[in-house]
Amino acid sequence: MSEIFDIYLLEAVLNGLLLGGLLALLSLGLNLVFGVIDVVWICYAELIMCGMYAVYYLYVQYHWPLVLAMLAAIALVALLGWILHQFVIRPVLNAEPINQLLVTGGVLFFLQAAATLVFGIEFKNLGVTLPSVRLGEMSFSAARLVAFGAALGGVVGLWLFLSRSYLGTAIRAISQDRAIMPLMGVDPGRIFALTSALGGGLAGLASCLLVLQYDIHPSIGLSFGPITFLICVLGGLGNMLGGFIAAFIFAQFIAVGGFFFAVEWGYVIAFIFFIAMMFWRPRGILGK
Amino acid sequence: MPIARLAAAVALAACTATAAAQQKEIKIGFIYDVSGPFAGGGSEPAQVGTKAAIDYVNEKGGVMGYKINAVFADAQSKVDVAINEMTRLIDQEKVDMLAGVYSSAQCVPMAQQADARKKFLWINVCVASSVMKDRKFQYVFRPTVHSDQYGAATCEYVQNYSQSKFGIPPKNMRIAIIHEDGPYGAGVAAANEIECKKQGMNIVLKEGYSASAPDLSSLVTKLKRARPDVILHTGYNPDITLFLRQAKEQGLKFKAMIGHGAGHSQIDKLRQTFGEDVNYFHSADPAAAQLLDPKTLKPGMAELIKELQSRYEKVKGPGEMPPHAAMGFNNTWILLQHVLPVAIKKYGGIDAEALRKAALEVDIPVGGTIQGYGVKFFGPGTPMAGQNERSFVVVMQYVNGRARIAWPKAVQTTDPVLPFPKGHTFAP
Repeated sequence: MSEIFDIYLLEAVLNGLLLGGLLALLSLGLNLVFGVIDVVWICYAELIMCGMYAVYYLYVQYHWPLVLAMLAAIALVALLGWILHQFVIRPVLNAEPINQLLVTGGVLFFLQAAATLVFGIEFKNLGVTLPSVRLGEMSFSAARLVAFGAALGGVVGLWLFLSRSYLGTAIRAISQDRAIMPLMGVDPGRIFALTSALGGGLAGLASCLLVLQYDIHPSIGLSFGPITFLICVLGGLGNMLGGFIAAFIFAQFIAVGGFFFAVEWGYVIAFIFFIAMMFWRPRGILGK
Repeated sequence: MPIARLAAAVALAACTATAAAQQKEIKIGFIYDVSGPFAGGGSEPAQVGTKAAIDYVNEKGGVMGYKINAVFADAQSKVDVAINEMTRLIDQEKVDMLAGVYSSAQCVPMAQQADARKKFLWINVCVASSVMKDRKFQYVFRPTVHSDQYGAATCEYVQNYSQSKFGIPPKNMRIAIIHEDGPYGAGVAAANEIECKKQGMNIVLKEGYSASAPDLSSLVTKLKRARPDVILHTGYNPDITLFLRQAKEQGLKFKAMIGHGAGHSQIDKLRQTFGEDVNYFHSADPAAAQLLDPKTLKPGMAELIKELQSRYEKVKGPGEMPPHAAMGFNNTWILLQHVLPVAIKKYGGIDAEALRKAALEVDIPVGGTIQGYGVKFFGPGTPMAGQNERSFVVVMQYVNGRARIAWPKAVQTTDPVLPFPKGHTFAP
């Protein structure tokens, strides 16, 4: 037994925790947008890809300081989120959900193809390596630790914003009853646009942390898009706390499952768990 | 008189235009990936090499008076797109034959469909043995290497230097085999396992993963526990960069890294990301043409290599030309220079049957191509029918960004540096 429960198992568990932080951060914006506007941005991971390219070009090509490049990327993706809502989502806001899905799916392919044409197929990277954090025999990615912290900070910050600010209260109110709030003087269009910008900003934040860990290429969204969507569904679409918890559960299945069995089995077990949960709690862990 | 001259000029121009329109051409549909992750993993350089061969042949008057009309299709690194593009090229573009193909995952279904439709398919790049093994193809030919050869070459290489360089008896040599889980990775890894066992070495871990996996930390942790001396890795991109980044972050140590083509052969890209961390890494592949000693090649090959290199650099700029460029050029060259002329001259055309007969007659001795290997296809009724029996892989080592041939000894151009020198990021 001691051969199995060794320091390496602990490393796998802790790496799962850090991966959970990364996935939780990814799911935040998507959940926020769905929770308020009731539309799934299938192209969410492609917005993150745009943010990664923004950091790359500002930092590597135009030699901006890294932090400034990241702040600009967050602002840019927030703007993209706003544009996405104004020009793509708003016209189909009252359409069938399948039409909304198809429209954002179209944006996904558009952004991938546009990135290929504009940025080329070459893999790009910042060339920035954060030092590892050693803990005895174990060693961890500092970039993942930062992502973990950002995910925690993002959830707390978002909770404070939604519960303590006037705008946050308006956002929550709109998400609860889209029909009645205009009668109380709240402009849903403005709130939706603001939420989209906020969702985009969270995608921008995720892109700043992903760019420290992954190469940038037009198809990077394929690695994260599906898993982010599954986590949101597992947690309960639109439920940020649910998504947060689901991210850590999913990550532990991947990390520890992959440690005990083959790496591929980690994902298989995670998806089996997802399917089982969809039978048991179709609306997700914390879905109502 | 001016009117008469004008009329004559118009008539002459019309005649020239008609002649041009009537110039005979051979339409070849090439399928590569110029978008998606395979593009940067070698598929795009293979297309550049292919175009260079076609341009060069056309500039010299084509093949027996036929101009080569190449139609390039982008498989977008997706199997379904590759199959759709193949169907489009056959049914709508009406190509005379198909060629190219980078990914083995695409090759497997494409080869079966092409053969079933009696369409001649000439495979330039994809290497999985399972593409050809026991398929009994009639119209599918592959001049390049196959994955069993990769597995054998790298295990022989490690075994050969186990005692002399590593100071470890082969039976104590700890080998880890990790691979992407498509036909290419699985094929090479299976051959690695068989061959390393045959060489009496100790396989401490063998594991596959998805090339698009967002996290490989658990694989790295398992490798840390398995403590391999040598890692045999088969992957594309970006999985190789993800693995190496996480291996570095998690403090994985080993004594040598031996890749098997694809992402490991794109050394310029790896160096952009990892700098000196990938110094002394290896990759097994058909030889990058520019690395071979011209004296070991037949007359004319050195000039051909220079031609490829100058055309490649015009497109991609200076740097280490990856083996995939040579694979695209070389195998297209063999098709255009050794198959098509025989099909036209001896078998009266370029239908699939004529091409098949011509391909079976190809007999190029070792040293007769820019990648060093000869060409002679296994005949019908053999387990690897359509596969080149004279192909071979070499193991290259990258030192300070430059590739050298480390194995086999017959074509070796460097004494390999094994294990990693002290101070190397991954050295124990």
